[in-house]
Amino acid sequence: MPLEFLQGLSEMQIVGTLTVLSLLVGAIIMASGLIIAKIVKILFYKYYAPTLPKDTAQNLSKIIYFGIIILSFLAFTSSQGIDLSGLLVAGGIFAVVIGFATQSVVSNLISGVFLMVEKPAKHGDTIQLPDMNISGTLLDIGTFSSRLRKFDGTIIRIPNEKFFTSNIRSLTVSTVRRAEAMVGISYKDDIENAISVITKEIELTMPFVLRVPEPEFRVEELGDSSVNIQVLVWHPKDDWSQAQPILLTTIKRALDKSGIEIPFPQRVIWDAKD
Amino acid sequence: MSDPPETSFSNYGVYDVNDLLELSLPNTEIKIQRIAENAFSYYRKNSEGKIIEKMIPSKSNDLKIEIAPIRPLNYPARRTGYIFLKFDKEIYLSENSAASIFVHCPIEIGLFLIHDSNRESLDWFTCNPLNSRFGLYGSPDTGTLCKYAEVSLATDFNDSIPYVEGVLKIVIENNLKTGQTVSKVIFPITDNSLYYEDSKSIIDGIKVTLKKRAVVSIADVKTDPLDTDWIKSPTWEDTTASTGMEMGLE
Repeated sequence: MPLEFLQGLSEMQIVGTLTVLSLLVGAIIMASGLIIAKIVKILFYKYYAPTLPKDTAQNLSKIIYFGIIILSFLAFTSSQGIDLSGLLVAGGIFAVVIGFATQSVVSNLISGVFLMVEKPAKHGDTIQLPDMNISGTLLDIGTFSSRLRKFDGTIIRIPNEKFFTSNIRSLTVSTVRRAEAMVGISYKDDIENAISVITKEIELTMPFVLRVPEPEFRVEELGDSSVNIQVLVWHPKDDWSQAQPILLTTIKRALDKSGIEIPFPQRVIWDAKD
Repeated sequence: MSDPPETSFSNYGVYDVNDLLELSLPNTEIKIQRIAENAFSYYRKNSEGKIIEKMIPSKSNDLKIEIAPIRPLNYPARRTGYIFLKFDKEIYLSENSAASIFVHCPIEIGLFLIHDSNRESLDWFTCNPLNSRFGLYGSPDTGTLCKYAEVSLATDFNDSIPYVEGVLKIVIENNLKTGQTVSKVIFPITDNSLYYEDSKSIIDGIKVTLKKRAVVSIADVKTDPLDTDWIKSPTWEDTTASTGMEMGLE
């Protein structure tokens, strides 16, 4: 019975020599290829990726994954008796004609496809486009344009081509983010003491600041009027508002409590007679 | 604000509220008061002076509540299901050896309204907000955000600190051919239940196995459920996600 069913499928022609059975075999080949690629990728990440540098591991994983998929696709086309060379020539000519006629539209469309494939950001991510000085939450990536809700509540539409060719800074992909502030203390105050009181105040009053990695302090500059210290703290990615805007306030409160001076710009003038 | 003497703290458990119920916890005051025939008011003040007030309409004339320890995942905000326990003293395990230790693990407190056999979450808080912070395990881009606590060793299950820290049993097994020093453990605490008796609390244990996988040495962390007569705490958080944890060895 199953044999008769398969024979029936092999006799059902779709186009030329292409039958339902051959299409079914092709689908099974592609599906198997995809499943094998996924499994191999998972096994690679679990067993071998930890021993390799991160970039190497990622690139190697992509090569293995897409290599298996391409092999499956070639097996699929050969099982269907498809000659790809004609398709490639026709596709190339078509792309050139369309490209000249509707350059910007096609450019946006193609950029949209690449954005969807590459996924530099996804719906709901907070991103920044430094080239255009735009920051906000990505609402969607459409066929020709993408929409962003800026922090002031307005929505901005960006053509996909511009979006794709821009530098995209993702503010929410990483698990944590870093907040920074610069503060100057007077030359007569002890740097170690200032760092100690700032650390204590941060630990006490900023619950969203991570204990690991701990706050970092860098003496950035021996300035004209002050010793400038850069303060760097990490916080969960969604809690920027609980760290960056209040970091300077916290630092100033800590220094005020301990009587450490934040000096004004000052200049010492020597009289020649003296 | 100094802590009141330990003996004056209320116990965990189920309380009937008729007209007024006052609970005394470290750095926290709770008052539930009848304001109408079928309505109660809820008042909580914490060590930072923050006041939480709620109205509780009740179908019946009485109100029944349960106060119980819950997982330390909610303060200052719910961001993760993982906990990062940093031991105050490192533990050294020689090759092919095992050790069993008890540690103090931070907890939070949950208040539940009891309707028939159902428990509804009314409020949660921590009695030790200064030790309720986050930490990162791994790199900033791919690491795991955890609740972070520096913990000390406990003597046994009865060594918990009321309303602040429960006791967690950790079994560490070193299957490697070299000695290893363990200074921290990271695991999804959403898999661990809490239990209480009077003002003491304990947490389902974990088993840490140091082993080799292919060419990598890892620490495999699994939950080790407790078999105890203590009362199991109601669950505050969603526990649908259940995972183990694999840590890299330094």
